[in-house]
Amino acid sequence: MRLTRRELLLGGTAAAALGAAGAYELVDRLTDAPTRHFGEGRAPEQHLLDGLRIADDNGVEIVVPTLHHEMVTATVVPKPGLEEQAALERVLRRLEDEYPGTPDGLAVTVAWGLPYFRRYVSGAAERHLPVDRRASATGRPRRALLDATRFPSDSDDVLLEENDVAFLLRSDSLVHIQEGAKTIFDALDGVLEMTSIRKGFAGGGFDGGPGLPKQLATAAGVPGADLIPDGSELFLGFTSTQKHALGPPRIVNFETLGLVDLGPESYFHGGTHMHLSHVFEDLEAWYLNFDFAERVDTTFRPRLAVEPGTKTVPQPPEKAASPRDVERDFRRFGAIGHSSSMQSTSRLQADVMGADGTLYHKGTAVPQRADFNTLDNPFFWSSRPKRDGMAEGPSAGLHFVVFNPSSDDFHRNRLAMDGVLPDGTKIALEPRARGQGLNSVLRTTHRQNFLVPPRSHRSFPLVEVTA
Amino acid sequence: MIGRRVVALAALALAVPAGLTACADDEPTPAAKAAAPRACPASWKPGWQQLANRVKAPVYCPTWLPSPLDGDMKGPTKNGVSVEPDHSWLASFLWHEPPAQDVHVNFRAYPGRTVIPRCEDTQVVAGKVRHRDIPCFSDAQSPRRVGRFTVTPYTVNQGVDQWHVLYLWRERRSIYTVSQHVAKPTTYRQVVANLDRVMRGLVRVGPTA
Repeated sequence: MRLTRRELLLGGTAAAALGAAGAYELVDRLTDAPTRHFGEGRAPEQHLLDGLRIADDNGVEIVVPTLHHEMVTATVVPKPGLEEQAALERVLRRLEDEYPGTPDGLAVTVAWGLPYFRRYVSGAAERHLPVDRRASATGRPRRALLDATRFPSDSDDVLLEENDVAFLLRSDSLVHIQEGAKTIFDALDGVLEMTSIRKGFAGGGFDGGPGLPKQLATAAGVPGADLIPDGSELFLGFTSTQKHALGPPRIVNFETLGLVDLGPESYFHGGTHMHLSHVFEDLEAWYLNFDFAERVDTTFRPRLAVEPGTKTVPQPPEKAASPRDVERDFRRFGAIGHSSSMQSTSRLQADVMGADGTLYHKGTAVPQRADFNTLDNPFFWSSRPKRDGMAEGPSAGLHFVVFNPSSDDFHRNRLAMDGVLPDGTKIALEPRARGQGLNSVLRTTHRQNFLVPPRSHRSFPLVEVTA
Repeated sequence: MIGRRVVALAALALAVPAGLTACADDEPTPAAKAAAPRACPASWKPGWQQLANRVKAPVYCPTWLPSPLDGDMKGPTKNGVSVEPDHSWLASFLWHEPPAQDVHVNFRAYPGRTVIPRCEDTQVVAGKVRHRDIPCFSDAQSPRRVGRFTVTPYTVNQGVDQWHVLYLWRERRSIYTVSQHVAKPTTYRQVVANLDRVMRGLVRVGPTA
């Protein structure tokens, strides 16, 4: 199936772009959304999505992601008050009444950026924004929400964004996402000014067939699309949502691991941190320069014995790599694994009794990934096309979305991906060196950190405190 | 990071760019669909015959190459012929338009050898030179029947075949390969279509001396 020119064209106005599906309409044509509508209760946490199916591949449990994803970023135009807060809450509740919070319904996660807290609720933010205990241990207090930074493998032109708010919409139905986004922005017309729309997809191949990434990239004529293995969850050919590689539901809550001091009134109890970035992926470079063994070496761990063609590589807690393992691998093979290097920070290094009463065992993953592939270039729509580097035509990429207990926790993981390990070890790899595998074919364009309040404070948080 | 022999042939850039720009879509070029002649073109034959005689083994002469290449070993798109002491050989054809467009096809054979050859991969990591012994051709795809040949496509290749799609077949206890570079304006899909067309047009040339 090939896309028509019209399907590949970028959206025009914000309103038109919000209602347009573009190339992504194919997702509904290419897949039957599975029925997975159960457990309709809404958790106090916004980042949790109920009813996700667990599939099995290669004997490994996989959390099946929703087919459609959309991130809409915006700035807040006037200083928001109680009226605006009530209006947003009203519309979000209306959507919750209309759709179950499961993949066949609609999940909306509202996340707020530092510009919002600084500009509109600075006094209350000073008092209530959580403080990262671990990051503050050696010096001045550091908030759980920090400005995004560039990492060693980032180029100097990575844009550090300053959006006030981001709405993450997830569903197996494209229509639900379109209606959800439109409903929110219609209701908040004059209050929220859209800055970008980012769309994408994941999975679709766990029950057989080529899967969405391959089908959509092929239809869009993206270079290297034909080389994506059938059934891949993501463009780069490996499954990223195996259960052992994702944090358990509440582990990223601010309060769970004790990394964060919630302040005197625990206003953000049940909240978490979200990092959002856009990354271009050079599929031809990945599939024509790295053979399967080297793709495994640099995605997981050097010299890991994996049957050719495997998409889901087991990463159980007991096999989590330590900084010493990563350093030893580098000395022997001149390469580090993407997963193993990050496991030194992304996996618990000891058993931890969580604030929720759960015993989290050593080796348990902490971050919860919610990333999705995209053909946006780099966004589906932008209010500042020149600044965002908007270009015509589809391009393979990833809208990277991950929940961590704090910005610093995410930064530690991302630094480890570049070989800067938590024990102070610095792997002597050049930025984007071949020995970093994935990093050498990725190019990040945008980054921003956000705070995800609990559901009870998701609408213009702290406005009622300020008022 | 890619060590590739590149020869700029500016004169050709004026003469034949249309053949390349016509390939912008992912469909095989019309020329690729046309029937190929069944004899080594007269002007190309001397070079291929000379090669067969030199390696004392049959070689396969192409009767079609993607535009603007031709299979004349002394022609304007020749990129060199090399023969090793073990009689393995490489014949390369290249058209290059600055800054980054090229059409590059390599023919190889390893007479008397059926095992994938090994290549040395050299990388500088943290200032230290590291050598690795790796297969010259890897990531084999499912074998396919193309014309008279059963070929195995390889998508990750080394040396002058780096970033090429390579078709490999075995015949009379020897390995033969043909590969084309996946480079703008030629897509992966076009390369596969081109290699299919090249394979269908191959003509065996045996040694005569």
